[in-house]
Amino acid sequence: MADIPTFESTVPAPYVSYAGVPMESGRPDSPLTLRDVSSVTKSIVRAGPETKACHRLSTPFGAARTEDGVLIIGQRPDEWVLTGHGSAIRALTESLDRSGHISIIDGTHNSAIFRLTGAGAASVLEKLCSLDWRDLMTPDGAAVSGSVAHVTCDIVRNDQDITPSYLISCDRSYGQYLFAVILDAGHEFGISPLDMLA
Amino acid sequence: MTRLPPRPGEIIGRTRSVDFSWNGRRVSGFEGDTIASALTAAGVRVVSRSMKYRRPRGYMTNDYWDPNALVQVGDEPNVRSAHRLIEPGMAVEAQNVWPSLERDLRAVTGPASRFLTPGFYYKTFMRPRWLWPTYEKVLATFSPGGRIDLDTPHRYHDKRYIHPDVVVAGGGPAGMAAAIAGAEAGARVLLVEHFHRLGGHLLWGDDSDRALAGELVAEVADAGVEVLTDSTVTGRYEDNWIAIAQRNHPVAVERLIKARAKVLVVAPGLIERPYVFAGNDKPGVMLSGAVRRFVNLYGVRPGAAAVVFTANPEGDAAAADLERAEADVTVLDARRGENIVRALGRGKSIKAVEVADGRRLECDLLVTATGWTAPTSLLNMSGDRPVYDEVATRFFPSAPIGNVLVAGGLAGDGTHEQLIEHARTTGRLAAARARSVAYSLQAATARAKAVSGSQPGWPTDTRRSLPRHPHPPLFRSATHGLVDFSEDVSSKDMLGAADEGYDSVELLKRYTTATMGPSQGKLETVNTVAVLAEALGRTIGEVGTTVWRPPYAPITMGGLGGPMYEPVRVSSIQPWHEANGAVFMLAGQWIRPDHYGDPSGEVLNTRRNVGIMDVTPLGKFDLRGPDVPKLLNHLYINKWMKLPVGSVRYGIMCTEEGVVLDDGVTARLGDHHYMMTTTSSGTASVWEWAENWLQTEFPDWQVHITPVTSGFTSINVAGPESRTLVRRLTMDVNLDPAAFKYMQVRTGTVAGVPDCFMWRIGFTGELSFEIHVPAGYGLHVWEALLEAGEDLRVRPFGVEGQRIMRLEKGHFIVGQDTDGLTKLPALGMAHLLKLDKHDFVGKPELLWALADTSAPVLVGIQPTDPSIVPDEAGQIVRPGTDEIIGRITSSRMSPTLGRSICLGQVLPEASKAGSELTVLMTDGRRITARVMAHHAHFDPEGERVRG
Repeated sequence: MADIPTFESTVPAPYVSYAGVPMESGRPDSPLTLRDVSSVTKSIVRAGPETKACHRLSTPFGAARTEDGVLIIGQRPDEWVLTGHGSAIRALTESLDRSGHISIIDGTHNSAIFRLTGAGAASVLEKLCSLDWRDLMTPDGAAVSGSVAHVTCDIVRNDQDITPSYLISCDRSYGQYLFAVILDAGHEFGISPLDMLA
Repeated sequence: MTRLPPRPGEIIGRTRSVDFSWNGRRVSGFEGDTIASALTAAGVRVVSRSMKYRRPRGYMTNDYWDPNALVQVGDEPNVRSAHRLIEPGMAVEAQNVWPSLERDLRAVTGPASRFLTPGFYYKTFMRPRWLWPTYEKVLATFSPGGRIDLDTPHRYHDKRYIHPDVVVAGGGPAGMAAAIAGAEAGARVLLVEHFHRLGGHLLWGDDSDRALAGELVAEVADAGVEVLTDSTVTGRYEDNWIAIAQRNHPVAVERLIKARAKVLVVAPGLIERPYVFAGNDKPGVMLSGAVRRFVNLYGVRPGAAAVVFTANPEGDAAAADLERAEADVTVLDARRGENIVRALGRGKSIKAVEVADGRRLECDLLVTATGWTAPTSLLNMSGDRPVYDEVATRFFPSAPIGNVLVAGGLAGDGTHEQLIEHARTTGRLAAARARSVAYSLQAATARAKAVSGSQPGWPTDTRRSLPRHPHPPLFRSATHGLVDFSEDVSSKDMLGAADEGYDSVELLKRYTTATMGPSQGKLETVNTVAVLAEALGRTIGEVGTTVWRPPYAPITMGGLGGPMYEPVRVSSIQPWHEANGAVFMLAGQWIRPDHYGDPSGEVLNTRRNVGIMDVTPLGKFDLRGPDVPKLLNHLYINKWMKLPVGSVRYGIMCTEEGVVLDDGVTARLGDHHYMMTTTSSGTASVWEWAENWLQTEFPDWQVHITPVTSGFTSINVAGPESRTLVRRLTMDVNLDPAAFKYMQVRTGTVAGVPDCFMWRIGFTGELSFEIHVPAGYGLHVWEALLEAGEDLRVRPFGVEGQRIMRLEKGHFIVGQDTDGLTKLPALGMAHLLKLDKHDFVGKPELLWALADTSAPVLVGIQPTDPSIVPDEAGQIVRPGTDEIIGRITSSRMSPTLGRSICLGQVLPEASKAGSELTVLMTDGRRITARVMAHHAHFDPEGERVRG
């Protein structure tokens, strides 16, 4: 019997933009990068406003915050997405009071998540999505949902130190398409794809 | 050669010449030249033919709006040659001329112009109707557009969505001043200029004008204003949604920018108005601005002997420019009562001008400066209705709404200082109002940065109005000439139309097509209104103006469409499919393997050995909560309250009309945990359907629905050896037939991947296991199955193989074997219907449907000739007649049975087993077929699937 296999990226290398332009894997210190981070553990928590779990997560709809290595995203009313290392997610979900109507679902395989990082990241998003990406309206910690190149996505502003960075999440099946489209939109800004972190 | 020595404000680079071709002839210009300036410098006077009468035309306004300037550049038609810059190797041609620009034989319509009155087409080509195809062909040759090459490769068009505080439309002195002041007041400002550079009319002005332009441009840069040149605000929509066409993007042919501006400042300047007189469209008749741009921006003298008919300082300045360019200039001053009657001359250029006092002045250039049109387009789109000022002889805004402000010539006249001060005040007001809007937006958006302080009030407009300078009311001379140069509509045509009763300017416009050509009223609107006012004996104010609609400047279809992003979905096994010869099909947005080269072989292998199929697109929903059975009971026609844990049940959903909506199986994985599947195509609609019921009718039910279609890679393992194969890779699940029965579900580890669930169902009619693997490991399990089953002859099969096998088995597909009228009883599935349930979606209608004996029903059908496969959707008719009694819904050649098989819907009278049917083929043949006893053509008892 085989060991548990390696999580497969939604975006197999070599990388090609939507327009068919081959793109070399870049370096992490490139000024504008796109990386598949889909292998991160994700849990979807659904709990009504009257539940203790809701109060415990204490992250309002439209916002995201980090607690003990877990990014808690208030993705929709009464719905949170927790991302991070599996053990940290488990610790948090196991600490949640299960009283009331509450569901916790492993969403690790359900969605693709890409991290778009760099000073020009908002300019790339401006080409694909009609939301307002200025600091005032989508500061670090903002969580939004919208159409990115005609695909429904959840986007979290999650800056890396002081560098603007966005986690863009979509249904896993759209991942390959969306990655190529973001590369296409970022081409004029010098975007570099990065290999998925194991 | 009319290229002048270097001018102080010219914008061409004389050190770099650029060669291009004009109608196949080599022409040289300089970097920065437009096609128009380069051609004029090369002595070209005629560049196009008019639409209707094919009259020779030269440059008239020498800017983007020039009605005579449309040319073909390579494969691109309708290029505005007075705006487009020359590029090396560019192939420029006159468009829609036959056989040549110099001799257009269709100019024979010119002498017949007196008969080609407005409405001529409507009145003449109505009869006889049978001649219309011929008329159409001939009329199409007069179409003014250029040549479209259908093989032109698609080029990249871009889109951008932005949310500036202030958009300023117009980069002249007022627009720049407003942008600077707005940015200095803290607003994020986007300044959009139609021309290739900022400056507006200052660019072709005198030294002090250019110095002022330079100062303002520097201030714009210092203030951090984002500038778009060669770009046009093409429309203003609800809530200041601003459309901008950007034509000079570095990587895109064109970019459509969708800006949600908090405040729009409209500062487009004024557009010079032509004068109506006989011969006003002849080559050599130009507006004063055209001449000034030729001379001062491009160093081109457009004529050697000029008559300048002027009523304003711009005309005076044009005369001075020509004198400095060493042209012979005669000035006729309208302010002194002088007037022109007609331009004389044929062919390439005018020869003389006839003056109202009887003089005849020899010339090759006639310049008119008779007034301005206020481009109120964006104000119209904001709901404003401009009003006419009899003194200034142009339209002004009436009462623009609060988040649309006006600056520059559109607001009034005055010195540069007055206009710039007014514009700066406008910019500050725009920034203040934008702050108020921004506060509201920020305060209302939870994710935004928290607001500080109290809501800023809505700043009142305390700007001092600009003066309005008087201007002579010059619209038409004593003779008739063209009003609309794009459409060849004359003042005489318009008076005739008014005589016919077209006394509304909106109706007159549509009847004569005045203002409806490529210049879209920029040049001809005021003259149109003036001529109608003259005809009706009313004032221009009483007649009113037409409404300008978007787009202000044309945008290409490519620009509107933007980048051709078409989402597609793939499963985690896609790389394997691509590497192993799959032939793909598009199913909705899913890219799926249709087959791997031999669908019949794939069927036979699955029937004899074992096959595996990627069925990931199958809709999957994780249902949790104590009230899930209630929801299932409500949505499906059968019962769900007692489904045991570990079991799977098939269900059909109907709409409230009893029409079949979807079908699928649902498994109970735990006390309050279910997994529902839907058809691949019905996934989204079923989710919406279920959520709609939950949220609107049963909000108290405790159910969470989470779509997990892509979260699991779904693999169907089917065939007699499927159990053997699955057993080789599965831990902790007893696969014995007695322990894991048909229509049961188990959770376990497959190929080392935990948390897989599998169920025993069989769409193919074979013993089969549907394994659902966490998607990040889907490819691994797929490859493991192929490796482990090599000795069992495991092979993949695609959608086509599955379609064949399900048809052999007689399984219907919702949407293919059903349609928007198919109710449950028609499928022969009425036995699933549990009418003793309290209520469920569609129950009342299904009670009616059960009693209906007239609706078509689904039956199995086999053609008499087993080699003939009827077409899907082929009509079934009553034998010996053309009366349609049904249709084939699915048909294939069955490799298992060696014959053709079908499903079809027929009227009940023809649905009995053994009934003979007649099926129409698309080639006209009629074939006979027989209704079968079962939907299933193969293994109707279902022994294999339960194996």
